[in-house]
Amino acid sequence: MPEYSLISRIGSLKLESPLILASGILDENGYTMKRILEEGAAAVVTKSIGSVERPGFTPPVVAEMDDDLLNAIGLSNPGIDHFGGEIFIARSIGKPVIGSIFGATAEEFSSLASKMQSYGADAVELNLSCPHVKGVGSEVGSDPALVEEIVGEVKSKVSIPVFAKLTPNVTDVVAIAKAASRADALVLINTVRAIHIDIYARKPTLSNAYGGLSGPAIKPIGVRAVYDVYKETGKEIIGCGGISGFEDVMEYMMAGARAVEIGTALKTSGRSIFDRIKKDIISFMKSERIESLEEIIGAGVSR
Amino acid sequence: MIHADIIRKEKISPTVFTLYFHWNATVLPGQFVMVWAPGTGEIPMSLSHLGKEKAFTIKNYGQTSDKLINLEPGERIFFRGPYGRPFSASKGKTLLIGGGSGMASLHPLIKIGSSGLIAARTKDELLFMDEFEAGKVIATTDDGSFGIKGNVLAGLKQLDLESFDMIYACGPEIMLYSVYNHLKDMKVDAELSLERMMKCGIGVCDSCSINGFQLCMDGPTFTMDQLRYMNEFGSEKLTFSGKRVKVP
Repeated sequence: MPEYSLISRIGSLKLESPLILASGILDENGYTMKRILEEGAAAVVTKSIGSVERPGFTPPVVAEMDDDLLNAIGLSNPGIDHFGGEIFIARSIGKPVIGSIFGATAEEFSSLASKMQSYGADAVELNLSCPHVKGVGSEVGSDPALVEEIVGEVKSKVSIPVFAKLTPNVTDVVAIAKAASRADALVLINTVRAIHIDIYARKPTLSNAYGGLSGPAIKPIGVRAVYDVYKETGKEIIGCGGISGFEDVMEYMMAGARAVEIGTALKTSGRSIFDRIKKDIISFMKSERIESLEEIIGAGVSR
Repeated sequence: MIHADIIRKEKISPTVFTLYFHWNATVLPGQFVMVWAPGTGEIPMSLSHLGKEKAFTIKNYGQTSDKLINLEPGERIFFRGPYGRPFSASKGKTLLIGGGSGMASLHPLIKIGSSGLIAARTKDELLFMDEFEAGKVIATTDDGSFGIKGNVLAGLKQLDLESFDMIYACGPEIMLYSVYNHLKDMKVDAELSLERMMKCGIGVCDSCSINGFQLCMDGPTFTMDQLRYMNEFGSEKLTFSGKRVKVP
């Protein structure tokens, strides 16, 4: 097996494989993140944390649609001052923990990023893309000037790698990606803004009505965003959206991603998904005579 | 989301109601569903009756449960599931230990010969006592309004626990933690069904997790051996917003 290394690099971050747990799935409690790292993830991204405690929305916060999922948890979080303990527990296994943060202004983001760094986070991911909460997330992340200011401010305040997670809910994702170009890597994509109506209740299923769609349905949208941004900017990219098997990982990497984040698939596959995909990637590398994953990054992009 | 019409409503104590409906699905004891009151909220709930006719036994403790117990026959209920790992089936002598509305989830396990220990704050919250055979059930109340005055421990001390082939328990975590501590050095098989803050029910939100296990997927029933390795059990949990606090 050593000849088929899955080691991946994003900025200065070295990962044992390209498989990362996506933000928002099983990453609020330090013990859960620790277990997911023990069971095979190369790194985890925490739930998005803000400046103050926030309860989030009243359930229903999810609507299941086969393997897809619509959610509006509402950025519930304990507030940054109460999150250090969870990072500490998660990091006890010795793998990278990436702290996700959200805010409304550049100052708020940079203060949150500094605190994540002081807690020992190995990188920060800027949530510029949550599609269902007013005044933050994709509302911030659709404004190129604000994105540029936030990324610049955070980069000037922390020394750990900075990842910017962008929204697909814009006309031109490349324009936002260019605005975020000071980030060490871009994460593409967050969920797609959507609604589900229960026809027997004649009401939206989610208490917030609007939610973010994730799962296999959005994979082609994610692959397109990665493809466009890789082609136009050449930036380092972490692919995200609808990944549930090795084929999806290979596809994202051939579109230009160096690593991927997996979330919704844990619902159907459980925590063992990381180990399963790692084995399947190695089989694919053997059968396709791929010596290093570096060879395939962007290999599917027409020049 | 599944929907069904309420066919019957029964008041089983001054504060607790059972709502019956038809749902053609196999649900095992210990599993749960997420029940939705459109416009109000969604809460996890065990089914108290698992035959062709199914039922929820609901105590009013919040906005959503209040909305649900005020529904009348002919009105619709909405839910999704079933979710979670059921209690394992067992033969022989069983003891059911239920705390408060935890008895609702144990109700399908009451059989001829089952013994029961029911713990509640007060007499009105003792559920399903009369479904056990005479002399097979003991009750404890915090306020002494019925049975033994005290908590579940006062009842446990009156039972020869090692004489049972299987013990099933369901109730608030603090009560289950006392049960666990009382049983942990005995030669008994026991499964405990835990209650924690639950938002999604499908293993994504991390609200109900305990030491990396999701109550909604890996539980809510856990064996004594599984609980032995959970240092968060009876000690710490996350609030609705995700803040770590002491149990309860």
